[in-house]
This record gives sequence, C-alpha cells and structure tokens, in this order.
Amino acid sequence: MLNNFKNRFISAIEPDLSSANLLPDKFPYGRPPFLQLLTADELRASANHNVRPIIVPRDLNLLPWGTGYAECINSGKSKWNEDQAAFCRQVLTDPEKKYPDLPYTYFGIFDGHAGYGAALAASYQFHDILHEMLVDCSELLLPRDEVNDNSKSHQNPTFPHPTYFQRRVSRDELIIGALESAFFHMDWLIAQDRNYYRDAGGCTACVTLFIDGKMYVANAGDSRAVLCQRRAGAGLAVSVMQSTADPNKIPTNPMDDVNSYPTAYSADHTPETERERLMNVARLKPQLMGQHYVAMEYAKRPHITDMGKRILCRQGTMKGWSYKTLTRNDLRIPVVNGEGKRSRLLGTLGVTRGFGDHDLLAINTGVQIKPFLTPHPDVRQRDLSQVVSIPDEHNEDGDYGILVMATDGLWDVSENDAVSRIVFQMLSRYPKEKHRYTMAAQELVARARGKINDSGHWRLADSKAAATVDDISVIVIPVYQYYKEHIEWTHNDTRELERRRRKAAEGNMAQEAVNDFNDIAAGEAHVVEERPNSQQQQVIAKGEQVIAVTKQEQERQKEDQHVLSESEETLVEKPNDNTSLQARLKTVTETLQQVQLEARAKATFEEKTVLSAEATSTVTTTTSANKQRNNRKGKGNKQ
Amino acid sequence: MSYAYLFKYIIIGDTGVGKSCLLLQFTDKRFQPVHDLTIGVEFGARMITIDGKQIKLQIWDTAGQEAFRSITRSYYRGAAGALLVYDITRRETFNHLTTWLEDARQHSNSNMVIMLIGNKSDLDSRREVKKEEGEAFAREHGLVFMETSARTAANVEEAFINTAKEIYEKIQEGVFDINNEANGIKIGQQATPTNPALPGAGGAGGAVNSGCC
Repeated sequence: MLNNFKNRFISAIEPDLSSANLLPDKFPYGRPPFLQLLTADELRASANHNVRPIIVPRDLNLLPWGTGYAECINSGKSKWNEDQAAFCRQVLTDPEKKYPDLPYTYFGIFDGHAGYGAALAASYQFHDILHEMLVDCSELLLPRDEVNDNSKSHQNPTFPHPTYFQRRVSRDELIIGALESAFFHMDWLIAQDRNYYRDAGGCTACVTLFIDGKMYVANAGDSRAVLCQRRAGAGLAVSVMQSTADPNKIPTNPMDDVNSYPTAYSADHTPETERERLMNVARLKPQLMGQHYVAMEYAKRPHITDMGKRILCRQGTMKGWSYKTLTRNDLRIPVVNGEGKRSRLLGTLGVTRGFGDHDLLAINTGVQIKPFLTPHPDVRQRDLSQVVSIPDEHNEDGDYGILVMATDGLWDVSENDAVSRIVFQMLSRYPKEKHRYTMAAQELVARARGKINDSGHWRLADSKAAATVDDISVIVIPVYQYYKEHIEWTHNDTRELERRRRKAAEGNMAQEAVNDFNDIAAGEAHVVEERPNSQQQQVIAKGEQVIAVTKQEQERQKEDQHVLSESEETLVEKPNDNTSLQARLKTVTETLQQVQLEARAKATFEEKTVLSAEATSTVTTTTSANKQRNNRKGKGNKQ
Repeated sequence: MSYAYLFKYIIIGDTGVGKSCLLLQFTDKRFQPVHDLTIGVEFGARMITIDGKQIKLQIWDTAGQEAFRSITRSYYRGAAGALLVYDITRRETFNHLTTWLEDARQHSNSNMVIMLIGNKSDLDSRREVKKEEGEAFAREHGLVFMETSARTAANVEEAFINTAKEIYEKIQEGVFDINNEANGIKIGQQATPTNPALPGAGGAGGAVNSGCC
C-alpha cells in the first residue's frame, strides 16, 4: 500500500524518466534502508544538488561491527542518487542439524547509470540470490573440519593418483562460484523484468562476503574495494614489513603521523582495462559492430584525406603499435577509444561489467552494447586466519585492516594511498568513539565532494582541482571486528559440539555411541573428501571403547588407509605408515584418557549443580536422534 | 498537499543545546530526553500557514560538535532561515554565539533570517544566562530572539513560525530573489503569480511543481 503510494509519488516527480516509458518501477526509489530516510521529504532534502548533503546512518547500530557509511548525491547530472548500497546478515543451517550453523555477512555497493532501476533492484534482490546460491552448496560448506581446507591433503604426494574426470573442489571455489553465479543470475533477473517494468538502466556491483573467517570481494565494474592497513610502532613494523609482499607499496611520507598502505581487492573494469576482452568479442563476432565500428585503435584519429597513407594503429588485441595503410573501412569508429576515465565502449559506455543495460544502444549508431558487457565478477579472497597480528590499543585493527568499498565518485578524485591515509587519520582522531568508522566514511565523501565555489563549480578543498560531480557512496568496514566475532562464534560452536559428544559418550550407551561416532566421523570424512573411496576408512574417536575397537580393526587391516578423528581434527595418514600411526595412536590414547577424566569430572559437577536439567535432556534427545540419522547415512556412504 | 512556498531552515549551535529536540518537538510534537549525537545532518519538514498561504518548512538539523564544523558549513548554502540555538543553563554555549554567527554570515546568503533561541527555559533553576543577555545580543546583531523549551514545547511553534513570517515578509518586500533556489526558497503550485519573472519551467521546476506532501 505504502509502496504503491510511493511508486506513484516517484513517477509524479520523475518526469525526465517516464516520458516514453509508461511501465511502472519494479521497486520504489529510496535510499539504503539503514539510512532511515523514510519520508518523501527526507528523500528530497537529501537529494539537494546545490548543497549535496553527506548522509550517514541515523542509527549507528544498524550496521554490524561499527561499520561506517556515508553518501552524497551528484551535482545535478541525474535527479536522484543512482548509487545504492546494501548489507545483509544470514545464517546457513543444516536442516538435519548435523553440522553447526555458518553465519555470513554481505555488503554490496552498486553504481547505477542511465536510471536508478538496476542498482535499486540489485540492492533489493542480490542478497536473496546469493543466499540461494550458498544454500545450494551448503551441504558441502557446512561440515567444517581442518581437512576441509584440503590444501594439506591436496598437496600430499602419497595421495592416490587422481581420476582424470573428477576434480576436487575446494570450499573457496564453492563460495567464489556462488558469488559468480549470483552475479549472472542478478543480471538475468533484470533482463526478465524489462518487459514488465520501466527500463532499469545498468549498474556496477562490488560485493564483499565475510564467511567462515574469510573475506571475499567480488567486483564487476568500476567501483572498488581497497584494504587499508597500517603499521604502528617501530617494533611491529619489522614483522609487518616481512609479511608484506611488496614493500614498495608503502608510502613513506614523514608528514604522516600514521604509516598506512592500501591493497586493492578489486580491479576496475573499464573499456581501457578490458580492451583485450572487448576486442576479442569484436574479432570473433564482427556482426556485433554493425557497419559502424572497427576493432582497431589509432594513435591519431584518421581522416578521409589520409586514405592510402600509412597510419600508426593497433589491431584487435595487439598491445603495441604498428603501421597500416588506411582503407575506407578503417574510417569507422574504434570499438574502444579514449584513455583512462574517458575511455568509451562503442563511443558510449565507460564501464564494461555489471548488471542491466539490456536495452542500451550506442550513441548515434544504435548498435546493441549488451553483447560486449558481462556480469562476470573478479573475485579475490583473504583468509583472515592467516593474518598474524595481535591488535592492541595502538593498532586496534591489527594487520586485518579496514576495507573501504566505494563507487567511482570517490576513486575518480582520490588515490588509494590518500584514502588509506585519510581513514587512519580519522581513526586516530576518534580513537574510542562508536562512530569513528562513520567519521572516516564521511570524511572521504566530504573530500571527494569538495566545496562549491562562487561560480557553482565543485572544487577539492586542498588543490582547487575539480571535485567529483558524480554520486559518492563509501562503506568503511573494520575487518578485525568481523574476525573477532567469527572466532567467538567458532569457539562457542566447538564447545557446544564437545558438550554434545561428551553427553553422548557417557552413560550406558557407551558402546552404541562409539559405533555412532565411527559412523559420523566416517560420514564426515566422506563428504569432506568428495571422491569415491573404495578403501575402507577407519576412525578413531574419543573414549576407551573407541580405542579398543580401532586397535582390533587396525590389526586386521594394516594395509588400509586410516582416518583418525581426534576431537574436531581429522588426519589423513599414509597407508603402510604404521610406525607413525602407532605413535599417533599412543598420543591420541593418552589425550583421550585425559579428556575423558576431565569430562567425567565435569559431568559429576554438572549433575551436582543441576545445570538446566531440562535443556540438557533436550540436547541429548536431539543428539541421539541425529545420530540415528547419521548412523544410517554413514553406513550408506561406507558401502 | 501542495504548498505556495518551501523555505529551507538550518538549525545551528553548540552540541547538546537541544537542536535535534527542537526539530523533533516541532515536526513530531514529542520530546525525546535522550538523543544520540547527530553526526551528519537530519531532515524534518512541516506545513504551516501564513497569511492564508500554505508554507512548507524543510528543516536541516546539523551536528553541533566542533569536529563537524567544516561539513556543517556547507549546509548554510541555500538556507532562507537559521535558528541559532544556545542553552540557557550553559554559559559557554552563549559565549560561542559570536563564532556561530560569523560562520553563518560568511557562508550563507546575506538575506538569511537568523533567529536566536535560548533553549531549555524549563530549567529556570539552573539558568546561567539571563533572558536580558539574550535580548541584548539579539538586538546588537539584528536577530529575532526567543526563549524556548523543547521539553514543554513552550514557544517552539512560535520560533519556527515567526522566522517563517519574517522570510515571508521579505519575499513580499521583494528582498529575496525567489527564482534562485540557492536562496532557500522554492515556489510551489499555490503561489499566485504576482511576480511576472516566475519560472515557467526551470531546471528545478520538476520538483517544485510536484507539490507532494
């Protein structure tokens, strides 16, 4: 009802877009929900092109980890701010509750062009699509043991020769795949809507996914995500120096009180950077260029009077330049022309990846542009568990860094270096405040927007150079805050699992539990390995009975491959390596005896304290019910 | 809900003097004793009637902290009226008025109507600034003065409406160039075209003519 009203309202005040196209908007125009610009009045005040107010969230608790956000509208090139931002926190759960939940957090930033529809649709829909894609592979994502990382087993030279037609797929690849397919799906969805809703235009997409202690940045277009890190204190500096791959990147400006350096986590997709791909499209499908374009680039635009003369050019995907005799066909417009920010595809578009633009035609020639575009993102990841750094009061973000995601409104006028410097300057100015990351975002936007001078031009405050006239949106994410939350969560999770197993191990069902454990572990191992395993797997789990069973089994089948399950950790052992296995077994036995003693002591303690008897019994019931299921599943897998 | 004119206001003054509370009292008629620090800029709007004409007030509530001053300055632009607020129970907020006034005069258009507001008049027992001092300051700098209480709503309506009345009078006198949106005034559909230089369909016309809310 309200949406309906808003829709009509927007149509009424948006005469420039509705002239030829009477189809409705799919989503009512608005700003990101966490800004709480709810009324039409607030929306309109925030879209003041003369003042370009910098909008920050009213309620700082809406974004997780104190994440900062700020935005500002363009200076009049479009009526509304065509940037959009979104975030979402979700949890992947196993319907059988066999594995612990896997929470994740997503941030997205979308820079619209030729209308606000595509960016708006992405901000409304992308997280749902991404969630769907992640749920699709959740059965492979949810079991989380050390072996899952499978880098260890991957490089294990004694591993059996891989079958030729089966590949192992890592968890990283699954998540990257989910992101990639979500990008394609989002683009497809906008294509589906174009017959029913008003032309959405197009948008770029820069998305960060925090999941399982890792950070994935997927980008299509010319928005950018940059990780800003700093070194504080001379003692720390040495160790960071060594861990940094490229020490040349670190600027040494004595004027700075903070020594910071940026690392780009995305690459811009412009006609210039994507020249090779575009030329390949043009070369392989020349019909896409119509009679208007040529897959060629000239050092100097040729004139008809140059016919028959030699001109310097590069054809197709060439990187260097060579001479060519000019023919009539060469007088057509190059597929890619211009340099840097002014580079254009088919003389029209400055960005070559993203969503939408399904109906976009080249200026003057009317040639379809979409075939040259792709929603395919570049995905880069950072494993936060590999970061060796202990944040302290002088460097509260440690080596985890601050991730700045922003649309090209910021990057057009700010170098990565400068952004990184400003972020840390602001953070040191506001060391304790809850809104420090918001302040950093606000400052970045304020600097990129600049000030308006008397003749109505926006200028940078420090250099009098032109400031950006585009929409600006900036997200500033304290990565360490995510990682802290992740560790906490994993810790609780491990404790919960341990508790469950201990509960199951004690009492009269000991032997039954042991069998269950064998089956669970075998089942887990199987899912993890993801390969047909004809070899019999053995499992050593907690408890004396387990050890006994394992010993018997082991004597019988010494040549087989063994999988040890020690608490959460599963180790793949070489076949025939009995000495190491024996040694391993011994340590395991010792550890397990200890653990069990502790467990018994704890159990007695728990009994004494009558610790939430009801809850405990529920857990036990659930656990045993799960085990029944797992039992069946595990056996099935074994055969 | 069309309007004859839209006036843009800005509320300025030290942090904690009650700027956001004044706005909330005027637009929502409620008082919120604990208010988060304003970091960016907040917007409010309300329709009032002057001389039988519907006038919409678009109010920009700014952050008072010194650290935000540079960003706040950019919001003076295009404001027709300003409420300069101090806290009668905190002398220093009164002492800072000169700085605020300089800032406002420097960054706004010269016709901007400034109203001086001594807020928290309900806390008379803790008063540090006498009413006469406020009156004297206002007289000296050519401002309109009023003491208000965002808690009890005393004089809050009057503060906003009196400012609007003064702006309206200036328009009648032809002091304001109402065709220039940078003066903080927009003409809505209701406006009678007494001024022959009214914009037929200007760049800003689209927004003005919609006349929503």
